[in-house]
Formats: sequence, structure tokens, C-alpha cells
Amino acid sequence: MRFITMDITKCVVCRNCEYACAFRQTGDFNRDDSNIRVEYHDDVKICLPQTCMHCDDAWCLEICPAAAIYRNESTGAIEIISDRCAGCKMCILACPFGNIHFDKINLVSRKCNLCQGEPNCVSFCISGALQYTTDQNSYQNNREIFQRFIENLSSVNH
Amino acid sequence: MNVVIIGNSAAGLSGLEAFRKQDQTSLVTLIAKEDQRPYSKVLLPYYLRGKVPYDHLFIRDKDYFNRLKVNCVKGTVIKLLVDQQCVQLDGGTLLPYDKLLIASGSSPVKPPIPGLSGEGIHHLWTLEDVRQLKTHFIKGKRVAVLGSGFVSLQGACAALSQGLTVSVIELVERIMMRALDEQGADILAEQMKSKGVDLRVNTLTTRIDKAEEQRYLLHFKDGGHLESDFIIVGTGVRPNIDFLEGTGVKVDAGILVNEQMESSQPGIYAAGDVAQVPSFNGGRPVVHALWPTAVETGIIAGACMASGNNRYKGSLNMNVTQMFDLTVASMGEFIGDDGCESWIDKSLPDQQYLKIVLKDDVPIGATCVGSADLAATLGMLRPLIRGKVRLSGKPETLKSIMAQNISQHHQAFVK
Repeated sequence: MRFITMDITKCVVCRNCEYACAFRQTGDFNRDDSNIRVEYHDDVKICLPQTCMHCDDAWCLEICPAAAIYRNESTGAIEIISDRCAGCKMCILACPFGNIHFDKINLVSRKCNLCQGEPNCVSFCISGALQYTTDQNSYQNNREIFQRFIENLSSVNH
Repeated sequence: MNVVIIGNSAAGLSGLEAFRKQDQTSLVTLIAKEDQRPYSKVLLPYYLRGKVPYDHLFIRDKDYFNRLKVNCVKGTVIKLLVDQQCVQLDGGTLLPYDKLLIASGSSPVKPPIPGLSGEGIHHLWTLEDVRQLKTHFIKGKRVAVLGSGFVSLQGACAALSQGLTVSVIELVERIMMRALDEQGADILAEQMKSKGVDLRVNTLTTRIDKAEEQRYLLHFKDGGHLESDFIIVGTGVRPNIDFLEGTGVKVDAGILVNEQMESSQPGIYAAGDVAQVPSFNGGRPVVHALWPTAVETGIIAGACMASGNNRYKGSLNMNVTQMFDLTVASMGEFIGDDGCESWIDKSLPDQQYLKIVLKDDVPIGATCVGSADLAATLGMLRPLIRGKVRLSGKPETLKSIMAQNISQHHQAFVK
């Protein structure tokens, strides 16, 4: 299985990834349509590219009341079947990373599906921050990583 | 081991799947009261709205029970024989069990209004309910919706979308008393009214007369009245526990269970709407008639039935829906009583609302009305609420705080 890794020390917030993703999904360049979002926090100088982590134990998949989310066996991606999506937004509420967004026109939820194995964002990343890798260690139990993040959250000094 | 599961909605299914993940050999029998093919209650209003076609209501395929090696039986459990360790179905069949999962769900209740019975009175709870409602959803027909919770307003929204004339009758002073706070409810109410819903709060229905075939007259305490072609009642639900009377299984509003979803009777588990489960903040055990809680508790119950290796960290109420062009969502303790600090995001435009409630700098709840992005923020807050994480800093900087920490633990760094 290959996954997209995000090196936040390399990201320069050019947002090529957002435009590339939007273009791949819709043929246009509206950032609202992108499944990868880059946050820039000026106060703490952090560039944070964020896209679906295709978690081992995906909470979105677990909770979907329409059985519209499944794991694509060949790419390993967690995917939303738009035709089955009712637009209830429970997956948006379930994702602890905020990685699912809502398509206001078609009234369905949308998320990264690894572009069937050739992620467009990775192709257009100018700094090499995004890689499509088989590095298993990078993806071993995202929830564990998130758990550590939670535990350390209150010890932030700023 | 012989396992019996009562119910094939969220909790029954997630319980079954969690059990089978660990145990593929024990005999499993699942009792389904309605259609044997599982369907999604959450999707019913979206079907009425025309968003989801009828056959998409079914959330497991025809081969599902065969694949999981489950014997699916259609029937209603009328008695639990604890000493004999079996359940009795209507029709007389006795099904023995070594372990039992009760996921029998809940049923709608009706307020005690004289005349509120008969053909034109509908709930919006089951597949059969919406099959009937669909025949009434004709453009121009008038519907009166009693109640203003999630289900009622979903019904109202669906009716409006199909061109019906809609009145929503609410007893208390505002809508969504249990699901939204006052400001959020106001935004939703204004939106509903702007879309043409006849919304009446503080309105007590004293009597309903049937004028003629498919014509009803509702009388209100303030002297007003309303004519309607049919009525949808969404005024709450009650756990299906009647069959447990006299069995000694401890119940309150629902079946009381511990952190492993086990009832007072060893070997008997409960999950979903029927279960009264420990709350994440350690308060009184609660019944949530909520899909996410049903899925969660079903998973714990199924895993514990297989190996006992799981522990529920307590329920956190959370719910979201899309209605009247707005996303409405809430989780935890979102009202904000004394001793709590409420932070409202003032950077949002009109008609967008986000509130986070904190106690001693720890987020305990949140609510939003407006765009779907706000629901994503609630999603990111959920682990902080569950983890009782102290946020050192102003809530305005919440996103920065989260970014700062997520960056430290991002998978890019885990080499």
C-alpha cells in the first residue's frame, strides 16, 4: 500500500496541491473542491498540508449511516461512493483531522481517494513536501499518533 | 458458543461485525423485527426528500448474513427466559443462547393528545412509516408536524422539499431543545420561516378532530387551530424494554450496562438505543437515541462478547444533519451552564454560528449551525473533549494550537 506523506518542514504553501486536486476532481481550479488543504498559521509559523490519512480504523467508515464509505482494495484508499452518499455529514463530524469536506452543489461529502493510485497533488508539489510512499512506518496506526498529539496538546507554550 | 443478537440496525450490525471479527466459529442467530435486509433509519428522511433512492436505504447486501455465517430470523422477541437462557419469539419459537446481545432499539412515543390516533397519524421511524408517508407526500398537501427535534424537522424539511405546506408545532418556547442551544435554534428557526414553514412555538395541542377522510383539525390551547391533511409525530422515543419485565435485568429508562456493555445479568449485553450507558464525563448513565452512539456501543458489546477485551470510554452525544440548507450539529454539553465558559466565534458572518463550551479550560461541548466546515471543527474538537484536554490559551487560537501539536506528531515525522 502506498500513502501520501506530508513533510511540513518542506511545505511552502504554494497551494499547487490544492489546485491540482481541484482540477483532477472537477476540471476547474476552485480551492473549495480540493481534498487537500494547506493551512498556514502565521502566529506560530506553521505550514500544515492536510489530506486524508486513510486510517487503519477509519472512524468515517465506521460511522457512515449509508454504508457509502469503503476501503478500495487495490489502492488502500478509504473512499466515499458519491452515489450512495446522502449528505448527512456524519463522516465530517467523525474525522478527527477535519479532512472531509462538503460539496454544496451536489450535497455529498468528499475526500481524498488517492486519485486511483496516481495522486495529482504529489505530482505537482514543487518542494517535495508531498511524497507517495510505501514507507510503512509513516502510516502505522494514525490513531496512535493522534493519541500522542492529544496527550501533548495541553503542554504547548505559546 | 451460541450467540443471539436481537436487532439488525446500527448496534445489532456493528455488534455482529465486531463479534465476527474475533470469532468466526460460534453459532450466531440474529432476530430482526422488520425487514430482514438491514436498512438505515438515518437515511429515511433523505429518501423522503428525494435525495436517496429506495434501494439505497438498504445498507447491507443480500448475501450479508450468509457471508458472516449468521442465521437471520424474522420475529419479535416477546419474552426473555433468563434461567433457561433463551428468548421467546411471537409464534412460540424458543432460541437458546450462551451470550445475548439486546439491540432492540427504541420506538416513538405519542403525547397524550385526544384524537391523536388512527390512519392519518404517522411517525417517521421505520421503513414502513416512510412507505406510507411517501404516498401522502404530494405537492400541495398540508402536513402538521408535532415536535421539533431532529426527526420532526427532517420530516418537515422533506415535506417542504416536495412542495407540501408545512406547519411545525412545538410545545416549548423554541425548537431543537435537546439538540441545539438558543442562538443556534434561532438561526435555524429564521431559516425555516424564510423558506415558508409555518412554525409555531409555545403551542400546546389540546385536541385533534378528524373532520373527514384525510382531514384533521388541530386545536391549540391559545384558541387557535390548524387544518391539516395528515400529521407527523416526532415527540421522542422510548427504549424497547417491555419484554424484560420480571426478568430481573436491571433497567431504568433503558437497560443499564457497565463499561463492557454487560447488563446486570452476566452473559446478557445491550447496545444502541435500548441501552443506558456510562457517560464520558462520569455523570448519570444515559440513553442516546443516536446513530454514532449505537455504532460505538455495538462495537464494544460485540468485542466483549467475543473476548471481553474492550472497554467503553463512555458515550459522548454527537449528532449532525443537513436541513433547510444548513448544517446543524452538536456534541457534549453544549448549552453552557453556570461554572462554564462559552466561546462564540465572532469572526463568522451572520447565519453562521459556532460555540465551544469549556469548563476550567477543558472543552466539554460544542454546537454549530451554518456551513459544513463548522461541523469539521466539531470533529476536530471531539478527541479533545473525550481526552479532557486542557487548552492553554484563548479559544480563538484553537486552530493554531491544534496545528502546532498536530505538526509535532504528524506521520511525516514518524520515521
